[in-house]
Amino acid sequence: MIKLDNIGVTFGSFEALKDINIHVKEGEFFTFLGPSGCGKTTTLRTITGFITPSCGRVSVRGVDITNTPIEKRNIGMVFQSYALFPTMSVYENIAFGLKVQKVGKDEIRERVNTMAEKVDLSQEQLQKKVSQLSGGQQQRVAIARALVTSPEIICLDEPLSNLDAKLRVQLRNELKDLQKRFGITTVYVTHDQEEALTLSDRIAVFNKGVIEQIGRPDEIYNHSATEFVCNFIGDINRLSPEFLTASGADKVSGIDLHKHSYIRLERMHVNDAVAGDAMTIQAEVESYEYYGLYIKYTLKVREQIIKVIEKNSGKPLYGTGETVTLSFNPADIMQYKG
Amino acid sequence: MHMKTKKLSITPQTVCNILILVFFFWFVMACLIMPNINTIWSVFVQEGEITLEPLQKLLGSERAMKSLKNSFILAPSLALTVGFVGISLVLITEYFDIKGASILRLGYMTTLIYGGIILVSGYKFIYGNNGFLTNIFAGIIPSFPTDWFQGYWAVLFVMTFACTSNHMIFLRNAMRAVDFQTVEAAQNMGAGPGKILLKVVLPVLTPSLLAVTILTFITGLSATSAPLLVGGRDFQTITPMILSFSKNVGSRDLAALLALFLGIATIILLVVMMQIEKRGHYMSVSKVKTTIVKQKIRNPVLNVLAHGYAYILFLIYVVPVVLIILFSFTDSATIASRKLSISSFTLKNYEAVFSKATAYKPFLVSIVYSALSAFAVAVLVLAACRIIQKRKDKISTALEYSLLIPWLLPTTLIAIGLITTYNTPRFWMFNKVLTGTTIIMFLGYMIIKIPFTLRMTKAAFFALDDSLEDAARNLGAKPLYTFFRVLLPVVLPTVLAIFALNFNGLLGDYDMSVFMYHPLMQPLGVYIKSLTDSQTNADNSALTFVYAVLMMIISGIVLYLVYGRGENKVKGNNK
Repeated sequence: MIKLDNIGVTFGSFEALKDINIHVKEGEFFTFLGPSGCGKTTTLRTITGFITPSCGRVSVRGVDITNTPIEKRNIGMVFQSYALFPTMSVYENIAFGLKVQKVGKDEIRERVNTMAEKVDLSQEQLQKKVSQLSGGQQQRVAIARALVTSPEIICLDEPLSNLDAKLRVQLRNELKDLQKRFGITTVYVTHDQEEALTLSDRIAVFNKGVIEQIGRPDEIYNHSATEFVCNFIGDINRLSPEFLTASGADKVSGIDLHKHSYIRLERMHVNDAVAGDAMTIQAEVESYEYYGLYIKYTLKVREQIIKVIEKNSGKPLYGTGETVTLSFNPADIMQYKG
Repeated sequence: MHMKTKKLSITPQTVCNILILVFFFWFVMACLIMPNINTIWSVFVQEGEITLEPLQKLLGSERAMKSLKNSFILAPSLALTVGFVGISLVLITEYFDIKGASILRLGYMTTLIYGGIILVSGYKFIYGNNGFLTNIFAGIIPSFPTDWFQGYWAVLFVMTFACTSNHMIFLRNAMRAVDFQTVEAAQNMGAGPGKILLKVVLPVLTPSLLAVTILTFITGLSATSAPLLVGGRDFQTITPMILSFSKNVGSRDLAALLALFLGIATIILLVVMMQIEKRGHYMSVSKVKTTIVKQKIRNPVLNVLAHGYAYILFLIYVVPVVLIILFSFTDSATIASRKLSISSFTLKNYEAVFSKATAYKPFLVSIVYSALSAFAVAVLVLAACRIIQKRKDKISTALEYSLLIPWLLPTTLIAIGLITTYNTPRFWMFNKVLTGTTIIMFLGYMIIKIPFTLRMTKAAFFALDDSLEDAARNLGAKPLYTFFRVLLPVVLPTVLAIFALNFNGLLGDYDMSVFMYHPLMQPLGVYIKSLTDSQTNADNSALTFVYAVLMMIISGIVLYLVYGRGENKVKGNNK
């Protein structure tokens, strides 16, 4: 549905985006993920029309919109700060786009009310000033305002970033639910890996203005295409050549000691080898963090520090200084050229 | 941010943008640059030739040289006395535990609701020849000289207590921003109250203190009302001298040269101040900042002395205000005798001001001029701020710096520039003569309020969330619609507050008005000065008091609306 072909954006001499190619499918929840300054918001703003690329083409359903004015793109947007107009009521905020389109008063009222119902905003809340609403309610207003003009696409620029952790998780679920209900093609920007993994159908991981990998959340997590993606998504252990040699993993075909080797924390096991765990090695418990649902162990294997996440099965915890057996499947090792 | 070079297309909006830029170019050239160039030209180029004659004339003029000397005596001494009193006020109201601090604060803040010519005439009424207190002193000591309140010391006294407004706003804010945990940390490490004040608290205030001291120094240099009213023959400063020279065609070059001199001194001092501002304020690094807890003065003797000092200052500030209010309700006989009795109270003075055209006309003139200029400057600066915010290029930078020119120049220089430039037909003013017309004072009022309005409005614009405009555009709104429906309503409270402050500041203006007023449209400041000159006439004094009270009420309302309600606050320096 949305196609970005060879998009490049430069600000003066700074190349913000280099050769970006993305194809977002109809009804998909597509996320741009990456650290600050990686180009994800620039890409989103290129789609919405706030930035005109220096090269490349943006198209929606095959129609080139690269130079189409913002207001004619029919793309809704939810901003990081929500950008709700502070001097207007909730109703006026949602109705703004319809008024601009010169829709009749009765139709505006009907559409605003319908949309408010869909995003769970009451009639009473519609009359309030936006500053009188909670963070979650404000987010719903921003979504309603973006959707009321019936756009083909909705773009969300880090809409959860300025909320506290608990509300973020709650609204994340609401957001996903809303997207499913409306079935609208959604482009979402975030730097939060967990948010990207839980919400998205597919993710594009950005780094320094280029896309490192595009894939489903499980592909990105389990088969990170680049060392950057592997490091950026989730916690990971970097395994030294000495560790690989001592554990015998260096003997496994395909393991190259000259490459950088990584393994996810939950793919290693403490005193509890699972099927496929061909490699074992003795380790000493340095410390542990108890999270309830799981326990995070910090182990010392020779001079290498290894972190392991163990699901809390009710077993007694391993104490500091205790010797344990660490096991893992060498197939879970991800290697990248140094 | 558009990255591609687009074909130039002429739309109605492009034409509108070009017209606005052409207007600003004209305004900057005609009102801000040409008058000042002309002032320099008129001094150093005479009959087509470069000359230093005005400089020689200045050096040869005893009066002029004396006024320069007086200004340079007044400015540093004023900086010292105002600094001392100003710091005292802040410590009394915000740092030390002085009983009745909130009442004292109200008293110390009276200079915010009245100033300039009205304040000086109030002091003159109390301390001047036949003044309220002078008569009391003379009653106690028969040999007491009744003309004692005149000359350098009188000017210094009046201005010391008139110029602490900046301390009560900026220094007080700085004191309130001191993190009390730093005081507790010093106490915890064994520091005594004196050491804490000198080594922990006052150093945090230093940047604000230096800035307000320089502003005081500039005020001292360009002092107008106080030397005019209580300076006497022997203590006239630069501005009254400029006023005197500008009235005579033969000495206008001297007036312009003195104004230039004042301008250069102001620029130098403001550059120093900007350097100090650049060094920045001491920011608290505390994550859980706590507010100052008032410090008890443990030494009982010092405590009594501090309380005594605080209340003497309170009386100095409040007595003129109280007497102005009281005497505004008394008949002319009481005003002449300065002796109050129950039977002397009347509303006739107020009736006169509201019923006699000669009495209410100056008030009306000032209200109309102030309102029109404050409105015009608000609109002008709103447009300028939009250009500055949107363009962010060389044109917008040039526009911003040009609009700040009046900030660097004393009012007198701006006034002299305008009246000497537009006393003949000029290209930049479409060959119209402005001097002597009703328009020139409106222009002057506007010009002096541009820098403050720009700084405050720009701050409001730059505090706007950029996403608001993006959101409106995303929802299909055109730039003008976005500006009027989304952005303007957000900045409107600030713009209205600035309008109110500007209106307030212009209402009693004397410094600009005295150079530019139309003889048939005498504004209040000029009218009050003329009444004060002949204060032997008790009816005139009564009128002055009524005006003073009315202006205090207006100023009080404006300040309450702007600062007092907790929101829509404007912080800044209304130059």
